[in-house]
Amino acid sequence: MDPLIYVLDLVVFIGIYSIFSLSLNVEFGFAGIANFGKVAFFLVGAYTYAVLSNLGVSFYVCLIASACAAALVGFLVSLPTLKLREDYLAIVVLTTGEILRQIVKVERGIAGGVWGLAVSPAINTVGLPPRIVSLVNIALVYGCLVICFAVAQRLANSPYGRVIRALREDEVAAEALGKNRAKYRAQVLALGSAMTAIAGGLYAQYIQFIDPYMFMPIITFTVWIMVLVGGPGNNWGALLGAGLIEVFDRGANIIKDYVKLPIDPSNLQYIIYGVLILLVLFFRPQGLLKETPLKTRALESVERGRDTAQDNAS
Amino acid sequence: MEETLLKITRVRKHFGGVFAVDGVDLHIKGGGIWGLVGPNGSGKSTLFSIVLGHHHADDGTVHFQNDCIDGLPPHEIYAKGLVNAFQVPRPFQRLTVLDNMLVAARGHGGDRMLTSLFLTRGWQKQEAELADEAMDILRLVELDRLARSPAGELSGGQRKLLEIARGLMASPKLLMLDEPAAGVNPILGRKIFEKIEKLWQQTGLSFLIIEHRLDLLFDFAQWVFVMDKGKIVIEGKPQDIEKDPAFYRVYIGDADVADS
Repeated sequence: MDPLIYVLDLVVFIGIYSIFSLSLNVEFGFAGIANFGKVAFFLVGAYTYAVLSNLGVSFYVCLIASACAAALVGFLVSLPTLKLREDYLAIVVLTTGEILRQIVKVERGIAGGVWGLAVSPAINTVGLPPRIVSLVNIALVYGCLVICFAVAQRLANSPYGRVIRALREDEVAAEALGKNRAKYRAQVLALGSAMTAIAGGLYAQYIQFIDPYMFMPIITFTVWIMVLVGGPGNNWGALLGAGLIEVFDRGANIIKDYVKLPIDPSNLQYIIYGVLILLVLFFRPQGLLKETPLKTRALESVERGRDTAQDNAS
Repeated sequence: MEETLLKITRVRKHFGGVFAVDGVDLHIKGGGIWGLVGPNGSGKSTLFSIVLGHHHADDGTVHFQNDCIDGLPPHEIYAKGLVNAFQVPRPFQRLTVLDNMLVAARGHGGDRMLTSLFLTRGWQKQEAELADEAMDILRLVELDRLARSPAGELSGGQRKLLEIARGLMASPKLLMLDEPAAGVNPILGRKIFEKIEKLWQQTGLSFLIIEHRLDLLFDFAQWVFVMDKGKIVIEGKPQDIEKDPAFYRVYIGDADVADS
């Protein structure tokens, strides 16, 4: 098989997972929300995209609808936990993911049940050579990635980002300073879920087939490893983590086509993930990249002004 | 009739079988510096946390100005202009000192998600003004040089000062301080109280202060409440309370008072 296809395929997956890990970075890295149900929103995104796309709806509308659907689910999930501590939220989202998957599994009319759903891609690539198909998908995925990254960066470096970071550091103190914890939690979950759903939609568009077994909880944990390894609270770290883990994951699959190994490397994957996460938490708990300090243009100008004042004084 | 700032009526709160606050009536009639003293475990801090919405009273009412505030969540109590500084400082450790200050700012447009994301021009100017204001307050507590350091790197005393500065940044109507002079050096402790007095004179900001450094509190407060076993037992002008033998009876066994 054409080796270049492997590389292009890897590039597409790195893009999709970068969007995915960025969304978790917004939720966990900045707002401190331990979302252990990420795959639920990935699933909502992928299925919404698939169903609409099969109805002949155009690409952008499909993606936006996916994002909106997942944002709504994210908001709804946050509701029962408004008065609870964040660890309860983690449990609620974790179970939500599994419940949604089970529902999809038995729902045959729209979602195709266990048989899954063939997706007629909204941007039609049928009949094109595989390399071109990959390139089209790379363009779509990285276009979305750029937008999501811009949003995540803007969010991190704004007064809103400051508030959610403060809530992450100390909920009680932030509430005493007038920040409505429930409101911020719901908003961040809605935004993060929308981003995850975009990744899900792009995934459906690329693979052209989805079934409930593609949305197992392991996906959630893979994305968590990406964020923890890359560095929570750093958007570049989320990209780095996604890149590293995907290179390893896909790389193992590629190698086994060319090299005869005594054991299948993809079976080792979970062990290696476990070891990796332990090593990171022990030796570099802040991840490979440190949290980026908050920077706004207004603050920079204030600090510049102070520096010049000090220079004049000295 | 004077304007009522804070009115606590028959508030009770029990933990297990013990009433930490047992029918407190406390009336802050107008602006100024008000003190709350009492031996350890007399319920002062519990009373504070009830007023601020961190705990719910079993019984009784709390009014701030003309609004009933008992049962409101903390962020709504902040919105009404009632802010506190925690006894054990709770800085946002990984944020810089300046960012800590800006979190406390009131009415920052950029605190809203969509404004922050899409209307950057709407908040940039406000942010610059608030940052200037924050720097002024930090200069007041001598933390301006550390504005860019993470708050987690501050010493214990500096955290205390940041806690108070953050309270000031929230521009409240009544700032409730829980032992502002504890854990800072004696000279700075006095300086803090001098600044509190100046703030009251210049801006009309009122204070309700829990403090064990009675020498300081009695120099600056205009009215002092004495709490014991969950009740207000005496109240009055500090010079009268100093002479009251009942006050010393309340504090008996407390070494701090015997010294001062």
